[in-house]
Amino acid sequence: MSEIFFQQLETIATGAGTKLVQLRKQEFMIDVDQKNLKKLISQLVNERNVRHLSTITGLDLGQNIGIIYHFSFERENIHVKTLVPKSNPAAISIVEIIPGAILYEMEVHDMLGVTFSGNPWMDRKLLLPDSWPLDLPPPLLKTSKPSEIRKRLQLEAESK
Amino acid sequence: MTETSSTPMRREESAGLMEYSVENLVPFGPIHPALKEPEYFKLVLEGEKIVQVIPRIGYVHRGLEKAAEMRPWVQNMYMFERTCGICSFVHSLCYGQAVEELTIYQVPKRAKYIRVIIAELERIHSHLLWVGLMGHWAGFETLFMWVWRDREIILDLVEEISGNRVHKSMNAICGVRRDMPDNMENRIVEKMKFIADRARYYRQIIDTEQTMLERTEKIGKISADTAEKLCAVGPMARYVGLRHDVRLNDPYAAYDEIPFDIVTRKEGDVHALLRLRLDELIVAANIVSYAVQHLPAGPVRVKIPPIIPAGEHASHCEAPRGEIYYFVRSTGGRTPDRVKSRQPTMANLPTALEILKGQTIADVPMVLTAIDPCFGCMDRMAFLDTETNRHWTWSGEELRQYGINYYRKRKK
Repeated sequence: MSEIFFQQLETIATGAGTKLVQLRKQEFMIDVDQKNLKKLISQLVNERNVRHLSTITGLDLGQNIGIIYHFSFERENIHVKTLVPKSNPAAISIVEIIPGAILYEMEVHDMLGVTFSGNPWMDRKLLLPDSWPLDLPPPLLKTSKPSEIRKRLQLEAESK
Repeated sequence: MTETSSTPMRREESAGLMEYSVENLVPFGPIHPALKEPEYFKLVLEGEKIVQVIPRIGYVHRGLEKAAEMRPWVQNMYMFERTCGICSFVHSLCYGQAVEELTIYQVPKRAKYIRVIIAELERIHSHLLWVGLMGHWAGFETLFMWVWRDREIILDLVEEISGNRVHKSMNAICGVRRDMPDNMENRIVEKMKFIADRARYYRQIIDTEQTMLERTEKIGKISADTAEKLCAVGPMARYVGLRHDVRLNDPYAAYDEIPFDIVTRKEGDVHALLRLRLDELIVAANIVSYAVQHLPAGPVRVKIPPIIPAGEHASHCEAPRGEIYYFVRSTGGRTPDRVKSRQPTMANLPTALEILKGQTIADVPMVLTAIDPCFGCMDRMAFLDTETNRHWTWSGEELRQYGINYYRKRKK
């Protein structure tokens, strides 16, 4: 089972112009660029029946922001990793393929400022307060300090 | 209290009303003084039916992921345990497993079994708490009292093993902090037998008692396909027939050595959820008995250095409410570079919103409790009827009474 599945995954990864890396037994990582992401994920979901998206992780990697989609299928865990530049954090939404991704994308948007085009709720806030100042950097970036955020939010509250 | 809270609430309402000017909009939450956490839902009504639900979570977002980046690896374990007051152990277990994979050390076998025992005791206590709450919201107080009395047995056992009732603080990276007390084996097996018997009795009650049947049957329906598309986890996936359980699919701790089978139901309504969780109680009680009787000898902990090698690892566990997910990234320092934690309620929220569509206001407490949420914002529900321009507020107690009266009237 696992052998065939591995080969099938490999075919999908090569089709999207990338490689499949086996991290551990039953754990795979696929690095893919933004262009091919949607194609790869729709192939995973529709052809290989990998339908359960566990979550989406956003990472601050210095120059770039990494977005990891964690899938699980029976015993295998598949991570699909993509990068967006920090100067222009725009990613493609996968809500069309996986409707359950909507809140995870909102979370990454709130916490790291990545905009997902195609997500219908991108203009709403999910976790941050409504009074969050627009000019403050997203909280999970390495450059934003909790003490500064706290000070700023306190000032906002006092000015009201 | 009404005056201070109504001002910001009104502003939110008007923002929502612009989108849905013809229908009725019901803000649900976020203030709740007694139960769990506050969350906020905007319910758009058409007459009495709910047509759209807009979530607004984050009222208790404490920035744990950011805080984790500034704390040592070990401290984080006990910080993440404070994520939840009901399923606290499984958070530290999942975080610990993610970190352990980055090190070269192996968790001792005895520690793995102790982890299973605590995790399953926690599942029993969480499910019992939930069954009690379901009884409360349906107006069946006797069930609530009985079930919460039985829950005390579990809490006492947990206290005896770990020293704490709620935040067990049992886990350490690569092991557990305390060994099992001596001479507890027979007592635990006996108590587990009692819990399983009670679960069978409660199952008989909910199948025959008219109050429960009327409030739960054919309510909160969803198809298996939709639940799968919305990435439902835990009991919310199993009650429509999906075999989704991390304990079985991707065994962690000692679950690969313990014989058990997961429970699934086909019906996909609130009643199926009740049956499912009561059946899971029996399974969990059996797992605890087996683990206690087959507890291997040996050390319970390996001491590790404070620096974790660089790498990335993700780990998932089956919490009482479903799959819980941790992703850890280390750059080889004393603190993590990034810790991502995803709780089951977050994963089940899209499914819950889908289920709420088409339900009546009277069923809102039942359906929202049915998903076993980590938010209990039943108090302070404000109603706004745009056609008659009437505005009124219900407390959780009034809402509960409304639900009970609604069904009483319908019966006549």
